[in-house]
Amino acid sequence: MSRVTIDPITRIEGHLRIDVEVDQGHVQKAWASSTMFRGIEKILVGRDPREAWLFTQRFCGVCTTVHALASVRAVEDALNLEIPLNAQYIRNLILIAHALHDHIVHFYHLSALDWVDVTQVLKADPKKASSVAESLSEWTGNSTKQMAAVQTRVKGLVESGQLGPFAHGYWGHPAMKLSPEVNLIAVSHYLQALDYQRYANQVVAMLGGKTPHIQNIAVGGVQNAINVDSSATLNVDRLVQMKGLLEKVVGFVQNVYVPDVCAVAGFYPEWFGYGKGVTNYLSVPDLPLDGKSTKFELPGGFIPNGDLSKMVPITGQKDERWRKAVTEDSAHAWYKSGGPLHPWKGETDPNFTDWKEDGKYSWVKAPRYDGQPAQVGPLANVLVGYASGNPLMVKWTDAALGKISAIAGVKATPAMLHSTLGRHGARAVRTAVLSELAVKQLALLTDNILKGDTTIYNKPEFPKGEIEGVGFHEAPRGTLSHWVVIDNGVIKNYQAVVPTTWNASPRDTSGALGPYESSLLGTPIADAQHPLEVLRTIHSFDPCMACAVHMFDPTGNNVARVKVL
Amino acid sequence: MKTAVYGIGNILLGDDGIGPAVVRYLQSHVNAGDNLTLEDLGTPSLDLPNYLDGYDRVIFVDAVNVDAPPGTIRLFTRAEIMAVSPGIRVSPHEPSINDALIVMDFAGNAPSEVTLVGVVPQTLEGAMTLSDAVSRAIPAAADAVMGELGRARVAVY
Repeated sequence: MSRVTIDPITRIEGHLRIDVEVDQGHVQKAWASSTMFRGIEKILVGRDPREAWLFTQRFCGVCTTVHALASVRAVEDALNLEIPLNAQYIRNLILIAHALHDHIVHFYHLSALDWVDVTQVLKADPKKASSVAESLSEWTGNSTKQMAAVQTRVKGLVESGQLGPFAHGYWGHPAMKLSPEVNLIAVSHYLQALDYQRYANQVVAMLGGKTPHIQNIAVGGVQNAINVDSSATLNVDRLVQMKGLLEKVVGFVQNVYVPDVCAVAGFYPEWFGYGKGVTNYLSVPDLPLDGKSTKFELPGGFIPNGDLSKMVPITGQKDERWRKAVTEDSAHAWYKSGGPLHPWKGETDPNFTDWKEDGKYSWVKAPRYDGQPAQVGPLANVLVGYASGNPLMVKWTDAALGKISAIAGVKATPAMLHSTLGRHGARAVRTAVLSELAVKQLALLTDNILKGDTTIYNKPEFPKGEIEGVGFHEAPRGTLSHWVVIDNGVIKNYQAVVPTTWNASPRDTSGALGPYESSLLGTPIADAQHPLEVLRTIHSFDPCMACAVHMFDPTGNNVARVKVL
Repeated sequence: MKTAVYGIGNILLGDDGIGPAVVRYLQSHVNAGDNLTLEDLGTPSLDLPNYLDGYDRVIFVDAVNVDAPPGTIRLFTRAEIMAVSPGIRVSPHEPSINDALIVMDFAGNAPSEVTLVGVVPQTLEGAMTLSDAVSRAIPAAADAVMGELGRARVAVY
């Protein structure tokens, strides 16, 4: 038996640490922990709720917009404040464009190297790679000439001894299985993805005023002045420009990203059998279609034990069950209060004890839904959409499963989605759905403006006394909720329950494991010194917890170390 | 030459906000011409290439982990930044300037001249204020940035 710790060693910034106990080549026990105390919600206490979003969008460097929007939604919920339709559509477009950008980056630039072996690229036949890629989709960027150019670029990199972006891949690991040609296709699309994620980000910047920190949001709506004829405002030219950018991204997502994920999945069908973990799924409805946020483009719900027929819908932020179901437990987290607390009563008082496998071992609290752990993220989003019969979710899920079946030569079913590869597949499905909705939301906004509606903002009025609100958002990494208590117009308590907290949750009072921990059980480990299999499953969740602190470290100690005992 | 000065760091976590603080100081003391961008980027992680594309020269201001008293300023060249191995990442979002440059070198659109003006932090505990030692270093860090701009003959007024 051996104990493997993947830990960015003892540094002050926050990182994700994973400990697994391996026996006879398989993971028997697992712990997920975060090594940094954040507690930055405390900074919000005593501040004006109308300004909270300016601070919350600094929580994380990747998810700036999502924290801005969850914050204004929480305050609007507390005030029962309706917002104009234009504001709803503009926010929806920002959320979609951000998600398109984020999901593309996650697959190509942050996790594809868990599956792609770059050394194999040199053995590929560019002509064959081109014909394989062209058999998968109608994308025009797959010519033999383009494939050969990418191969030359990789050759130059290998010859220079600079491993470049691929230095942290596990070259030649026995768990790598793609053909040389598919490896070449993946690297070729890695380069193209750099451009397409940027187009999506440009839409966020156009509506948000700038990125990474958008400027256009307000409690009560948005601050985008609309005048179809003025060059200084949101006008017809800009709407047309955004349409052009979004259509490019739509093409890439549907003709490159989705087929690539299906191809990778087709080469690694055994990974539909690993990484299942917690099969309670939580997803909230999003992309509101009315000013009161009662109708949504995408549904929300809670699926217990992976049983899609038992899905309980979440109807909106006012849903009584949702408002009561969320708690956070600190039995195994470094905080004083142990017992489960509702976020409105949430406490963030640190109590560090050292890493203790049977005691406290993480700075992440354990969020629970009706007292149970829940997995959040694109898989939860897609399964809830599928269970609800959402036409776009059903269409793209079935299309992806069909493609995977054809490549793998086995019948892929929705039940196989409860897995490491299922999370990657579901992320691609969700991205394809959002790509269609991007075009739709832009059309809704354009039509509404052309009808003559230019309203963007309803002024908030704060009552005397105490009010509570929750703002949620189905973010790229899953269900995000901000919980605010306002007393006489001033913030009294603020808690953000973020997607990675749900998934990286430690054990709770009852000993129930969090989704990361649970997903690792039974995973085969070919080489304990190079636990690629652990990273594959963890990366499939798209963890994001380390962005809080940014510091350049010339010693190189900010990278993970693998320690085998 | 198109030049950018970017402050990097989290303004909610004490001295990690030094990069953004130096940029705010520069914004209130100099008039940047058309060829100079001054921006607080927060903690951009792998979004960073989007802000580097199209620039020839980039000066970062960031907190640095070196063994020196808080407030010490250290300059790093592009070669020194690139000498740090990106390594294996448990969370793929762990941000780093060298990661962004490595990706862009491979794609062929990286800025050719890069300098990092680093300031040693005292505390990274949740707060929107800088420690005294780091706060006092702001003008000197801004001077270091101006020195780099002067070497590059970027006009500021």
